Amino acid sequence: MPVRELSSGIYELDIDDRKMLATKNMIPGMSVYGERLITDDDTEYRQWDPSRSKLGAMVLKNFDIPLESDSIVLYLGAASGTTVSHVSDILTDGLVYAVEFSPRTMRDLIQLCDQRPNIIPILADANKPQSYAQIVEKADVIFQDVAQPNQAEIAAINSKYFLEEQGHLMLSIKSRSIDTVASPKKIFKEEVRKLESGFDIEFEVLERKELDPFHEDHLGLVAQMFVDDEE
Amino acid sequence: MTGTEFTAWFGKLKLDANGEIEDCDLFDKDPEKLAEIVVELQNNPQSVPLQRADLRDAALECGFVELDEDYDILLRDVCIRAAKSQISQTDTDDSRIIQAVEALDDIDKNVNELSERLFEWYGRYFPELEMTGEGLANFVSAYGSRTNVPEDHAMSEKASQSMGAELLFADEELLRTFANNICSLYDTRRYIENYINTSMGSVAPNLCEVAGASLGARLMSMAGSLEKLAAFPSSTVQVIGANRALFKHLRSRAPSPKHGIIFNNPVIKNAPWWQRGKLARALAAKISLAARTDFYSGELDPTIKEALDKKLESIRQANPNPPEKKPEAKPQKRGGKRKSRGRKKNKKSGGNN
Repeated sequence: MPVRELSSGIYELDIDDRKMLATKNMIPGMSVYGERLITDDDTEYRQWDPSRSKLGAMVLKNFDIPLESDSIVLYLGAASGTTVSHVSDILTDGLVYAVEFSPRTMRDLIQLCDQRPNIIPILADANKPQSYAQIVEKADVIFQDVAQPNQAEIAAINSKYFLEEQGHLMLSIKSRSIDTVASPKKIFKEEVRKLESGFDIEFEVLERKELDPFHEDHLGLVAQMFVDDEE
Repeated sequence: MTGTEFTAWFGKLKLDANGEIEDCDLFDKDPEKLAEIVVELQNNPQSVPLQRADLRDAALECGFVELDEDYDILLRDVCIRAAKSQISQTDTDDSRIIQAVEALDDIDKNVNELSERLFEWYGRYFPELEMTGEGLANFVSAYGSRTNVPEDHAMSEKASQSMGAELLFADEELLRTFANNICSLYDTRRYIENYINTSMGSVAPNLCEVAGASLGARLMSMAGSLEKLAAFPSSTVQVIGANRALFKHLRSRAPSPKHGIIFNNPVIKNAPWWQRGKLARALAAKISLAARTDFYSGELDPTIKEALDKKLESIRQANPNPPEKKPEAKPQKRGGKRKSRGRKKNKKSGGNN
């Protein structure tokens, strides 16, 4: 079976001429959310459904994914851990801090953390980074997928506290949670503007693409923290 | 600038102006205790200096752990414990009521479906029986075949002359078991309803008095918690549950909804149509007040209900008669507006040309 590595730890499998996104299963034999397991040459892969994961969709949209096997990742909006499980697969020598606000979904996430050694669960509000600053170290990458109206602001304050210099911010912006009626294009433009100059830290937006057809009214964005040497 | 203090999950750090560690006071390496500290710090966030040493480096430098891996293992253990204890604390009074209300809705949905099935099924054997719902379930569970209906029963004459088919013993047993289950669902429903009534009285006495126990509980369930309901503006309370109408209004020219789920309160349900919007606004205002009083003080404040009753009465007296209906006034006006807009545009474009 032809296997192509799209980015560090992210693979494209070719099964009967059908392409499939996957990661190497860290816990072989274990399926996290009912996804398909594929074994090839003693390696087990877990199928990654891009329509259930913003990160997966970003991979298929040809984003340059800044995740390496030894990255430290701060994941905001971990939900039940569908995407987090794949991030955990990618970070074989890294660590992911998974922040989630809802106790209900945290219940599922903790089950996942019990199995995997590189996920650290944090039940907290991503609006208040002070409340988990005693736990989280400097991160190479912040991935954020929160359905909040102040998404850009949350990204900015968390980057301020936790993002390593030259670190990357990966953002999925959901226009529907900012304004249900306004046009998504307008909202995306405004949010990108906010990120570039609206806060006391600045970002250089490296890539931005809408995530359709996998996710409607979502914008994927990768940015790098812009360090001002004068300060 | 003098140094700052910062508490990390493994100890208290003293930092100098550049964020370098001056001194550290390490905690015990007991995961259970560390988890308590983490939760405590989460509930009362400290001010965090932007210039601070990296936590992992600090832990290694202070000798809390010797290896990177030890740091990961211990931190993971602590955080899982902390998250688990936080989750177990989320079972609050209002969350229990919300579960009960949602269970009630599930039962309603299912019991209706099952009752309809019983009606269809048993109807083959006794179509003249004009019973539905709980009455039918009780009847079937008590007698089974219509031949078992005693002579002094109101239905005995109809039972003996029925055109229904004969009910075989095996089917009769099956139908009776089925009906028994429906009966017990109706019992459970009453049980849950009582539970909601009594708990609402103690958890949210004002909301209970102003909106009624079941509506109050529903509002809490739709908001997510009593805290969230208390934080809602009363205009949201007024239309909560009318999402489709509200978004239609926001997106297009549809009229705004007058009431959402609070329509179920008899004050609005029993009112004539022209008063409903006004009454809904007054009721929603007092419901918000009641929810806030419940969340922040918890004491029953009878003046809310009194003020509401006064306000409702004055609305009723001010609007005793239906406003005069202007037949087709609205569509005509709208159509006219649209046309005039179109013409204006035409004129403009004509001018430009």
